[in-house]
Amino acid sequence: MKECLLCATSLETLPSWKSLVGMEEQEVICERCSNSFERADIKEEGTTLASITSLFMYNDAMKDYLHQFKFLQDIALAKVFRKELNGVLKGKTNIVPIPMHPEKKLARTFAQVEALLDAANIPYLNVLEKLDTGAMGEKTRRERLEMKPLFTLKQEIQIQPETYILVDDIYTTGTTLQHAAKILKEAGALRVEAVTLIRAK
Amino acid sequence: MMKDTDFTLRDFLAGRIWHREHIPFDTEIIDAHIKAGHIKVISGVTKTSKYFQQTHYFCRRCENEEQARFTTFQCAKCDGPCAYCRQCLKMGRVSVCTELIAWIGEDLVFANDHQIAWQGNLTPLQKKASAELIESNHQKKSHLIYAVCGAGKTEILFEPIYELLKDGKRICLAAPRVDVILELEPRLKAAFPETPIDALYGGAKPSLAPAQLILATTHQLYRFQEAFDVIFVDEADAFPYTADGTLKRAVKKAAKKDAPIHFVTATPSKQLIVEANKQGAISSIPRRFHGHPLPVPRYESLWNYKQKFEKGKLPPKLVNWVRERLDHQQPFLIFFHHIELMEKALPIFQTIDERIQSVHAAHENRKAHVLALRNNEVPGLLTTTILERGITIPNVQVAVVGAEQQIFTKGALVQIGGRVGRAVTYPDGDFVLFHHGISNAMDDARKEIVNLNKKGGKL
Ligand SMILES: [Zn+2]
Ligand SMILES: [Zn+2]
Repeated sequence: MKECLLCATSLETLPSWKSLVGMEEQEVICERCSNSFERADIKEEGTTLASITSLFMYNDAMKDYLHQFKFLQDIALAKVFRKELNGVLKGKTNIVPIPMHPEKKLARTFAQVEALLDAANIPYLNVLEKLDTGAMGEKTRRERLEMKPLFTLKQEIQIQPETYILVDDIYTTGTTLQHAAKILKEAGALRVEAVTLIRAK
Repeated sequence: MMKDTDFTLRDFLAGRIWHREHIPFDTEIIDAHIKAGHIKVISGVTKTSKYFQQTHYFCRRCENEEQARFTTFQCAKCDGPCAYCRQCLKMGRVSVCTELIAWIGEDLVFANDHQIAWQGNLTPLQKKASAELIESNHQKKSHLIYAVCGAGKTEILFEPIYELLKDGKRICLAAPRVDVILELEPRLKAAFPETPIDALYGGAKPSLAPAQLILATTHQLYRFQEAFDVIFVDEADAFPYTADGTLKRAVKKAAKKDAPIHFVTATPSKQLIVEANKQGAISSIPRRFHGHPLPVPRYESLWNYKQKFEKGKLPPKLVNWVRERLDHQQPFLIFFHHIELMEKALPIFQTIDERIQSVHAAHENRKAHVLALRNNEVPGLLTTTILERGITIPNVQVAVVGAEQQIFTKGALVQIGGRVGRAVTYPDGDFVLFHHGISNAMDDARKEIVNLNKKGGKL
């Protein structure tokens, strides 16, 4: 018996012909849980970052989701948004997840953005490396902007004069994405866009 | 090199099986005790190849082995394929590379000087059950207390618990629902003022002091292992205990070898009665402590109530029922089978009286709303089956909307009716089942209540 990954009620969906021939992925959460998330579909445009697309709002359901996914380390939940991520990223190239600091990744046992992309079956490039371990939450906006670079390009990585798409789980102030975009641009990227699962505020 | 045992650590860890990273002690202290052989380290999830060479996972904390409740992944910590248990995830994730720790050093010895401050009187039936329970403890037999709602189950346990405490035994009183634990905690603390008592439920911090009497949701027993000399399972038929095999295993795992596991309930399953009869250890109390009979449900048809709610209308019968309660200033509970239907109905009910509220499992205001009902600050509540047991509100009147729905089993209906007429001052009240067709469960519940009243009346 299959259960909703979020509330454990049984999923009584009958497999469609598409799912039987492997063309359609089975649902992993129930309709009720699915409806508790609020679509955002915000697209902002700018200079360093040509565009930032966010898929969902940060509501109570999303807060619980992130808590279980990141804090309780429930990597199974990476599957929950695979359809939506596929919708914006399928067929795109040069997808770059925002990396985690290695120590933090070790503690969490997985990197959440990579897990989201893996679950959606989207290939990506690991070109960036996280430098600072200080928690963002404790710093004021100005401090964040004035901080030394958050990322560096990995050794022996060549950036092409093409479009790159950064992916992060949550977009709060945009500092993280701005820093990452700047690195890619300076290394020769023609255009940098971003996709985030969640838009806070 | 460590010379002595850290007794605070022993007091906390003895009888428990704990996530090594989440223990409230310094790493060095833990390491030293492992080295000295006082603590044993256990892999959180074990992996075996049985069943035709397929990998089979087993959680060492909650003993889950339902394979669908394990997730395998590429783990950065152990740098390879790993798996974790989703059954007990909320207590801190346990995976193959997670270390659980258990105390194997010097035993924890409990005091045997205790005080019992409870001074109420037991009815002859309560007294008999209490004595029978004490006898079963002597014989290390598991015992079933089959007592109607309002029989005074908790008071029956006081004397047996006191006897066990004086013998230096460690005792657990477990219940599937947190509401039951929250209601038991102040009563037991008042009854045994000298005894270290700890109440454990999701979100409660365990104390470091060694509690001789532990009140816990059955979920919390995942974290115990061969800890208790006796376990009482209150409301043993309540969801999720009945539905979940791992919770039953958790109770067994938490008990020491040969420790009796007692059940206390108003609505035992057939299986529980059969097992108890086999042992010969069953006490039944078909009568409420105040001697009045249980309210017998009456049926009222409420055809197509769902469609009416969908259209934003309340069936007149329901309006009249609520108006009557308001006129007589009687607090009321209206049970629904489904949250969504209830939420749809709430604004319609609020047109009769805007103070009417609703509660369900995920509601943060649940406790506050129930308290408000008790204090007459709200006239009535709409609720899911979450309030079917554990709560006592003097003079409460009860209706079930959609009593024919599957979720309203015989046991659930008996429990719901058990909310009515509990107080000596108001020993009666209305218990009405609004329905779209009469189910077997409704008839079974009614029959059971009538039978119990017959039995109780003869005594
Ligand atoms: Zn487990
Ligand atoms: Zn691992």
